[in-house]
Amino acid sequence: MLKSKTFVKKTRSGGVLKIVREHYLRDDIWCGSEVCKECKDEAPVLQADACIESTLCVSPHYLIPDTNVVLHQIDILEDPLIKNVIILQTVLQEVRHRSATVYKRIKDVVHDKEKHFYTFTNEHHRYTFIEREPGESANDRNDRAIRVAAKWYSDHLVKETWGRPLKVVLLTNDRANKEMAEEHGLLVYKCDEYIKSLIGNPELVDRLALTSDDQNDITGSKLLFSEHLPLSRIQAGIKNGVLLQGTFHANRDNYLEGTVLIQQDEKDVTEVLLQGLQNINRAVNQDVVAVELFPKECWVAPLSVVLQDDGPNDEDAEEDEAQNKYLQILTSKSIVRKPTGQVVGIIKRNWRPFCGMLSPSQIKEATRHLFTPADRRIPRIRIETRQAATLVGQKIMVAIDGWPKSSRYPNGHFVRSLGTAGDKETETEVLLLEHDVPHQPFSQAVLSFLPKMPWNITEEDMKVRVDLRHLCVCSVDPPGCTDIDDALHSRELENGNIEVGVHIADVSHFIRPGNALDEEAAKRGTTVYLCGKRIDMVPELLSSNLCSLRSNVERLAFSCIWEMNHNAEVLNIRFTKSVINSKASLTYAEAQMRIDDTNINDDITKSLRCLNKLAKILKGQRTEKGALTLSSPEVRFHIDSETHDPIDLQTKELMETNSMVEEFMLLANISVAQKIYDEFSECAVLRKHPSPPPSSYDILFKAAKSRNLVILTDSAKALADSLNNATIESFPYFNTLLRILATRCMMQAVYFCSGMDSDFHHYGLASPIYTHFTSPIRRYADIIVHRLLAVAINADTTYPDLMDKHKQAALCNNLNYRHKMAQYAQRASVAFHTQLFFRNKGIINEEGFILFVRKNAIIILIPKFGLEGTVFFENKDKPSPDHSFDSEGPTLTVEKHTFHMFDKVKVTISLDASNIQHQRIRMALIEPVIPGVSVAVGESEPEAKKPKLDR
Amino acid sequence: MAGLELLSDQGYRLDGRKAPELRKVQARMSVFAQADGSAYLEQGNTKALAVVYGPHETRGSRSKSLHDRAVINCQYSMATFSTAERKRRPHGDRKSSEMSLHLKQTFEAAVLTQLYPRSQIDIYVKILQADGGNYSACVNAATLALVDAGIPMRDYVCACTAGFVEETPLADLCHVEESGGGTSLSLALLPRSGNIALLQMDARLHQDHLDTLIEAAMTACKGLSKVLDSVVRQHLKEVSVLTRD
Amino acid sequence: MAAEMRLPAVHKFISLPTTSQSQDDKQLVVPGEVITSDTGFMRGHGTYMDEDRLTASVAGEVERVNKLICVKPLKTRFNGEVGDVIVGRVTEVQQKRWKVESNSRLDSVLLLSSVNLPGGELRRRSAEDELAMRDYLQEGDLISAEVQSIFSDGALSLHTRSLKYGKLGQGVLVQVSPSLVKRQKTHFHNLLCGASIILGNNGYVWLYPTPDQQDEEAGGYFTSLEPVSLSDREVISRLRNCLLALSAHKVLLYDTSVLYCYESSLSHQIKDILKPEVMEEIVLETRQRLIEHEC
Repeated sequence: MLKSKTFVKKTRSGGVLKIVREHYLRDDIWCGSEVCKECKDEAPVLQADACIESTLCVSPHYLIPDTNVVLHQIDILEDPLIKNVIILQTVLQEVRHRSATVYKRIKDVVHDKEKHFYTFTNEHHRYTFIEREPGESANDRNDRAIRVAAKWYSDHLVKETWGRPLKVVLLTNDRANKEMAEEHGLLVYKCDEYIKSLIGNPELVDRLALTSDDQNDITGSKLLFSEHLPLSRIQAGIKNGVLLQGTFHANRDNYLEGTVLIQQDEKDVTEVLLQGLQNINRAVNQDVVAVELFPKECWVAPLSVVLQDDGPNDEDAEEDEAQNKYLQILTSKSIVRKPTGQVVGIIKRNWRPFCGMLSPSQIKEATRHLFTPADRRIPRIRIETRQAATLVGQKIMVAIDGWPKSSRYPNGHFVRSLGTAGDKETETEVLLLEHDVPHQPFSQAVLSFLPKMPWNITEEDMKVRVDLRHLCVCSVDPPGCTDIDDALHSRELENGNIEVGVHIADVSHFIRPGNALDEEAAKRGTTVYLCGKRIDMVPELLSSNLCSLRSNVERLAFSCIWEMNHNAEVLNIRFTKSVINSKASLTYAEAQMRIDDTNINDDITKSLRCLNKLAKILKGQRTEKGALTLSSPEVRFHIDSETHDPIDLQTKELMETNSMVEEFMLLANISVAQKIYDEFSECAVLRKHPSPPPSSYDILFKAAKSRNLVILTDSAKALADSLNNATIESFPYFNTLLRILATRCMMQAVYFCSGMDSDFHHYGLASPIYTHFTSPIRRYADIIVHRLLAVAINADTTYPDLMDKHKQAALCNNLNYRHKMAQYAQRASVAFHTQLFFRNKGIINEEGFILFVRKNAIIILIPKFGLEGTVFFENKDKPSPDHSFDSEGPTLTVEKHTFHMFDKVKVTISLDASNIQHQRIRMALIEPVIPGVSVAVGESEPEAKKPKLDR
Repeated sequence: MAGLELLSDQGYRLDGRKAPELRKVQARMSVFAQADGSAYLEQGNTKALAVVYGPHETRGSRSKSLHDRAVINCQYSMATFSTAERKRRPHGDRKSSEMSLHLKQTFEAAVLTQLYPRSQIDIYVKILQADGGNYSACVNAATLALVDAGIPMRDYVCACTAGFVEETPLADLCHVEESGGGTSLSLALLPRSGNIALLQMDARLHQDHLDTLIEAAMTACKGLSKVLDSVVRQHLKEVSVLTRD
Repeated sequence: MAAEMRLPAVHKFISLPTTSQSQDDKQLVVPGEVITSDTGFMRGHGTYMDEDRLTASVAGEVERVNKLICVKPLKTRFNGEVGDVIVGRVTEVQQKRWKVESNSRLDSVLLLSSVNLPGGELRRRSAEDELAMRDYLQEGDLISAEVQSIFSDGALSLHTRSLKYGKLGQGVLVQVSPSLVKRQKTHFHNLLCGASIILGNNGYVWLYPTPDQQDEEAGGYFTSLEPVSLSDREVISRLRNCLLALSAHKVLLYDTSVLYCYESSLSHQIKDILKPEVMEEIVLETRQRLIEHEC
């Protein structure tokens, strides 16, 4: 069965290294076709009756795409119409090598039973393996391998199908390859010609990616960008230090500027500034690029201007003008110069399908249009479609195919339509897609792992759990909360101490490791709360019913029980799986009311009061240690029950009970973190919050200085204290503003695996160790922590992945990513609803504070709505008012009025719907009155202010 | 996506084998005249040479000899040209000493040493080319050399490695698989009785997987023993024909 | 001088016409193979009891002598028996004994009391004799001897109480596998071709020029240092190469086989005998003659 063949590979890594690997050729690799009787395949994938109706090839046939077709036309291959495709191993390997995302997608397609895709391991097949000939490039060899495999298939299938010939069609876009294949008597088509011939679905044509062959006619001959270096030269350049490798981050506010983050070693990250389209040189956000640094004299400082690529449709002179003007600014003196450079090559593209809208061409019947992505960091994309008329006003998804050096914009193709723009459903869909939030309904496979209803607590459950049903447990949550994952109790013990219990929903009881339900939850990572919508991490049956600790039902819980004295000193901790029966589900307000109302004296209230008392002590202790109290404006919408439109907006109020629940959750988390770390020093999932680098506090210093206050940032404690002291009598909101600013200086807290890191400190909470334990219904990290804790107290057994620190670390990375994305999605949802709200409200005048001062704009926070907006002092078409910026303050002086940070201003707020893609809240200054800049109170036509928008 | 895909969705490994398949094993016995026993064995691209001297009078310090059985002395070495990068020292480093010790333990379990009190049996093995599974190639080659030397053993000792990739145990890892994919377990087996002479694993593995991994390694060892068996029989036949009279 | 270089040749399996018949009566076993689970047999060399099954511990032929089952390995160290003639080398001089390396699993012992001392007569060994031991035999000397008895640990006790045995003088030692030496009445031969041979049972073969007088009075401890004539040296060299050729092809060694081989080699130069093809030719001829001789 085994045919051995040894071949020699040479690679260069430092010196010449001869690598010898074995390569076995087999004669038991089957063709995978139903018709074939020779092959002893047990479950053939390819159908005998392979019918894709095509005018080019009438008889049934199988498709063999080559590498480039798979790479570029993956959207086509994913279409349900395309079936019975043979993916050669050669192709799959090349795809894997070139693009991880496409590889993932093609693998998903192959796994889809309906699609009848078959992977043929041609490299190990006795008759289709070929050796690279002398002088033949690796690519040519692979092309030849593909042809040989296709040839083998067509010969093989002819043998088997006497009556109705089953053909094999090779799809390639390479002309030379096509010719050579034809010489061998193969049936070859170019991908686009084949797709166009399909009878089934003419719309597929739109999804065809533009390939290099077609690029020439779409753009002018003018070369806009310099050529990218070939990969070999990039690698050489990186090795000898001439070039640097990093990830490109486009600037959200300024399309002509971006930075490349270069990871030099473990911790050290340098930023390289890129300015101007030529220097960015076709890099798209998140691409891995090679940069060349300019000599030091050419270094510049980043401009804090806001510039958006709103240029008209066609290639334009105006564009150059804008850029020239921009570059003029660049040459002006800058104070802090940053390393500046240019992109010389792309190491890895990180393109994904982008959501956005079509900006239709002015010429009717044109098929080429520009597409404007919703993400401002992504350049506009040129696509070809015949459905422009129908697509206008819709949100669509587009994939980039390439960016030729002669083109101002990248070329792409239409993937699918998401729905009408502005529509709540569509917009939600868009923001979920844009933030990569998995939001499909749970699959049958996942649901099959749910417990069967009606579900009851069984005898076995009771045997291994402590019965705590007699305890007076209650839960305190925000109003309308259905996924209650924590409940509390307290009672006085006979010895005078107090027993406090935190009971967390025992989700890990229902979600067993490794099954589809667990995998789905791990993938989702967190429940995402949008305004008026919740994307669950686990199916609703669990999240809102079986796991939710509702009142007066028996529920399984994981309890953490402390014995404390009256000074809130922990004397004893106990973790146990339990059964509880919550006596009441309260809202924060209800709980607060019970505590405050001296007339109520039932068990629940007594317990709450006791908890509240302890919480205050705990909080005091924590603050003493240097825990920060930060602030960020949070808003709540009152949603109309019928239309689901927001009708009112209010900032969230914080009550004592909020902090009471929070205190005990923190205590539980810290206790659990310590316990699991003690038990599993290598693989405990913990959460850390690194202390921010001192430089990030600059803005906070300056802001405080402007009010003659000093903020100390030597330690968390110093910061907390100085924040507490930084109050101005006449300006009560000042402290909150400072705290908002301080929040922005902070680093992101992250999950990590204890075996992979040494710094565990949680800066914000001033705790040496921390984890998440208390919300397993909505966070996957908590489920893992539950499992670890369960093992630690011998209530459950381990499983392999739980003990594997690398797998844990990978899981943490995913969770961090999902959390970040969920936050962004949440913010985006709030922003969208704010817009909806103002759309209904019309124009409002409101007071606000300056949060940041930029070079040509000020950013204003409206505390009432928790809303931030920008007021520009500069625009293209109108002579801008005289303004000067001082970065020391920072202050901005416009027409003799100087804006400081935290200045109180009055603005008028309205919705700017002129650009349907980026509808935004527009703010215009009312007070202070600056002639030519501010607008009159109540003016409803502020068009003059922003003429560039109503094009 | 970093690293190599060690096991494709179709169930093929990098070199085209399926998960439980062994590499091609070739061997010859009696390759040296001057030694008491010798053998050369190729397991894929791993090539090992084993030489046995003895049993003979204990050399060196007399105190080493045991009054009730023979001493087994092993030395493992790797040719300087055996790895991709040239080795400085062929033997004597920590890894080699450890390997020597493992070999010694393995063969003490199999050789009927009590038949030769106060004697010594020397086993020298050299890896000529290393492509994963050095230990197992050494054990297999040394087994053949011992058989060639006519030293009584309970059974063959067959050794094989097994690794664990994507929840699938892989038998007989090659170098790429060994270095690329986590756990690797070496097992030396007396195939007829199923007794384990040596089991060694450096990386961490969850205990749930251990049984399947050992099972896979044992199956591989049994497969290997068939190959060794046929080599020995072939050799026996050839030689006994010559000495027929 | 041009040196001859050879690439490794494919190992050829020489099949002889008579193989198939004689094959059947031999049972070949490998270590760990069960020979019989019948408990009526006795366990011999090369076997062990694995629970109740008689199991082979070496690879080789099964030999049955009535109820006794042994497995004879193809190649092994020398297992001495009383009366065997051996050739060995002195490795150590200890109190009242010499240690002799004799290709067996432990060094053999030659007690001072088991040698004929100069003078020949039997007498008590005195302290002077002990001190003079090194004068008789010292480290590195080759001797011929006979196995007198076997110690419990398997070591051999030798004696040289015959004038045939004793220290060896000028000559050539050839080491072959002990199993190739055929047991015969005598292992001392004066070959017709003009040299003498001692075929030690331990696989050590001693070639030396035929001495002039058989009855030397030195008792075996005198070595002649007279130059050996060229013709004798040539004969000895040729014999040595013939022995190597025979052993390479696993032909049993005894006076006739050696002599036949010598005779068939005469058509070749001495140095050519070791070339594989010549070796093969000579050995084939020898075998042929041996078969004819037997018939």
